[in-house]
Amino acid sequence: MNEKKINPRKISAVKDFTCVLPVLIFLAVFTYYPIVELLRISFTDWNLLNDTWQYVGFKNWNWLFAGSGNKYLWNSLKVTVLYSIGELSITLIGGMIFALIFNRMTNSFAAMRAVIFMPKYVAMSSAAVVFLWILNTDSGIFNYLLSLIGVSPVDWLGDRNMALISVLMLTGWRCIGYGMMVYLSAMMGIATDYYEAAALDGANAVQRFFKITLPMLSPTTLFLFVTTFLSSMKVFQSVDILTQGGPYRSTEVFVYNIYRYAMVDFRMDRASTVGIFFFVLLLIVTVATMKVSNGNVTYDS
Amino acid sequence: MKKKVALLLAAVMVTSAVSGCSGGGSTGKAAVGGGNGSAETEAGGETAPVDPAQYEVTEPITIKWWHALEDQYSATVDKVVSDFNNSQDLITVEAEYIGSYSKLNEALVAAHAAGTDLPAVTVANTPYVAEYGAGGLTEDLTPYIKATGYDIEDFGDGMVEAAKYNGKQVSLPFLISTQIMYYNKDMADEMGITMPTTWDEMDAFMEKGTKKAADGSTEVYATIIPGWDQWYFETFYLNQGVNIINEDQVTTDLGDEKAVAIAQKIQDWCNAGYTYWTGTAEDASSNMRQNFISGKALSVVHTSSLYNNYVDQCDFEIGMSWLPGADTKNQEIGGCVLLIPSKNDQATKNAAWQFLQYLCSKEVNMTWAEGTGYMPTRKSVLETEEGKAFLEKKPAFQAIFDNLDLINPRIQHKGWSQLATIWKNIMAEVMMEGGDVQAGMEQMADEINDVLADA
Repeated sequence: MNEKKINPRKISAVKDFTCVLPVLIFLAVFTYYPIVELLRISFTDWNLLNDTWQYVGFKNWNWLFAGSGNKYLWNSLKVTVLYSIGELSITLIGGMIFALIFNRMTNSFAAMRAVIFMPKYVAMSSAAVVFLWILNTDSGIFNYLLSLIGVSPVDWLGDRNMALISVLMLTGWRCIGYGMMVYLSAMMGIATDYYEAAALDGANAVQRFFKITLPMLSPTTLFLFVTTFLSSMKVFQSVDILTQGGPYRSTEVFVYNIYRYAMVDFRMDRASTVGIFFFVLLLIVTVATMKVSNGNVTYDS
Repeated sequence: MKKKVALLLAAVMVTSAVSGCSGGGSTGKAAVGGGNGSAETEAGGETAPVDPAQYEVTEPITIKWWHALEDQYSATVDKVVSDFNNSQDLITVEAEYIGSYSKLNEALVAAHAAGTDLPAVTVANTPYVAEYGAGGLTEDLTPYIKATGYDIEDFGDGMVEAAKYNGKQVSLPFLISTQIMYYNKDMADEMGITMPTTWDEMDAFMEKGTKKAADGSTEVYATIIPGWDQWYFETFYLNQGVNIINEDQVTTDLGDEKAVAIAQKIQDWCNAGYTYWTGTAEDASSNMRQNFISGKALSVVHTSSLYNNYVDQCDFEIGMSWLPGADTKNQEIGGCVLLIPSKNDQATKNAAWQFLQYLCSKEVNMTWAEGTGYMPTRKSVLETEEGKAFLEKKPAFQAIFDNLDLINPRIQHKGWSQLATIWKNIMAEVMMEGGDVQAGMEQMADEINDVLADA
């Protein structure tokens, strides 16, 4: 009789919690646990070849920021940023241009759009192998076509100045259709009233684009920017197949750098250290992007 | 709610840290039957009795053999494996092509760390023997050799040495080759050129052996030295007395005067158009081969194992010449050894030992030696009439047979493959982009010292 009644709100809270518990466990096991592990390994001297390891304090961090790892850290950071700028330009600017060109709802245009979007369906590894052949110095179709107009063969993958551009060509071929499709669907969503009103006021096509289309697309641009930026920072497959980070580490992007330490040098300790650094870096950049863009995005109300 | 989530996360972190500590230090799955432990103790004591029954195969078993033998060898691989499978009833071998030596290395170390999906027998490129031996990846074969009375003495001495780590026989020589200078004999005769035997003669040879067009571009390179694997150029350093790894095991002399001079010389040849640097790209090897086959290079430095390949593809006579020496004219063993990963269970290891003995047998070895450019590994071939018969079929191998004693084991160091990667990358950068050789080499030496000290 004098038993305290359990607060129904509490019961509801427990119920809620049990519902999200499976997801939390999943996240903890597959996301947070590995991150914590990574941090722990970065304080060890774990070499994949050895069965035992020891804690070595800040040795690896010292190596990364003050030792021989530093040079390659900044090198891979530079390469990754360059690559990201490339991929962002292709997806955002290229995607926008393609969206404007193919913004016509007829069957023939639908077919052309399908052709442009198609490469996205091709597995990156297969596409990269095809590009390996296309870009071959001696027998590749690219150099053959260039030879027809009298240009001497280009060492697409072996020349430091060309290798990253070659990787970006593959990226562009695969991703431009995606940017186009996302922009197109967003353009469909812009009410025609704006354009009619603008046309009545005598705005020309260029003005209409910069004053209506572009601002109205800003949420889409933000979405594309953030998703493309994050995925481009994590590029690996195309680099692995096309250049293996070469020539002389000039296309060694961040993830490939980590892979090299872990799977070529077998230095899991160093790979973990770089991995943690990369994780924190991405976290900061992502938060910063969201913060900065919050004020500058126009949402249609 | 927030508090609860935070608590949960904290709990997960604590348990992970604790379990991580105990897990990381373990030595993986223990071998069944205690074979691993007993093998090690027996290797230590010379007089420890070995029970042959412990290494017998008693039940049918299927085992995997990892190799790096490309398409051109697949017929031989198939034949060798099916011959073995048909020769007895208990063991069935499945051969698996894993990829290049370095890809195989990655797969093997990953499998070893995980302790699962290990092959029973695998090939390994000769420089990896030290890394594997130091890391405990390989089974010590000494007790197996003792128990089964295997005749290890018949292998060439350098080859047996190259398959050892710290005095332990952790592998056996399988497909052995060495560096060699292939040259276009017809072209050399026509140009009146004899191949250089010393580094000092190289300057004259490079100049005389190069053919240039009227516009100064190179039509025929005097020679091409591969840049995708430091194995091909490291002997030039060794023979001039450069210590790639000093006796202290933690420093290199690759940044010193003598070493810089060698790199400078090669850069000069590149700049003069006498040669070009192949770089490290995937197609570097095939491009170099193509240049030689089509007569755009008088000579190339390559592995002797490709002899038959070159002979098949070239429509001119091919000569083999020992690499130009200096203070010494030593060369190094290349190719691969066979080993048994130590984390296999004893039954698998026993079956693997049977197959390994067969693969390294004289008969199988001669199948390879005759069909490819790999060398006979047995003294009973190298030093007898059989060797003479072999030379009659492949007269170009005289250059190798004359210098058998000069073929040395590789430098063994745990940090070797990291060193090698740094070296070949810097060489490629300096040769292909131009730039200051001295600065490049000195900076490289710093980096290598760091790797060696921390291996």
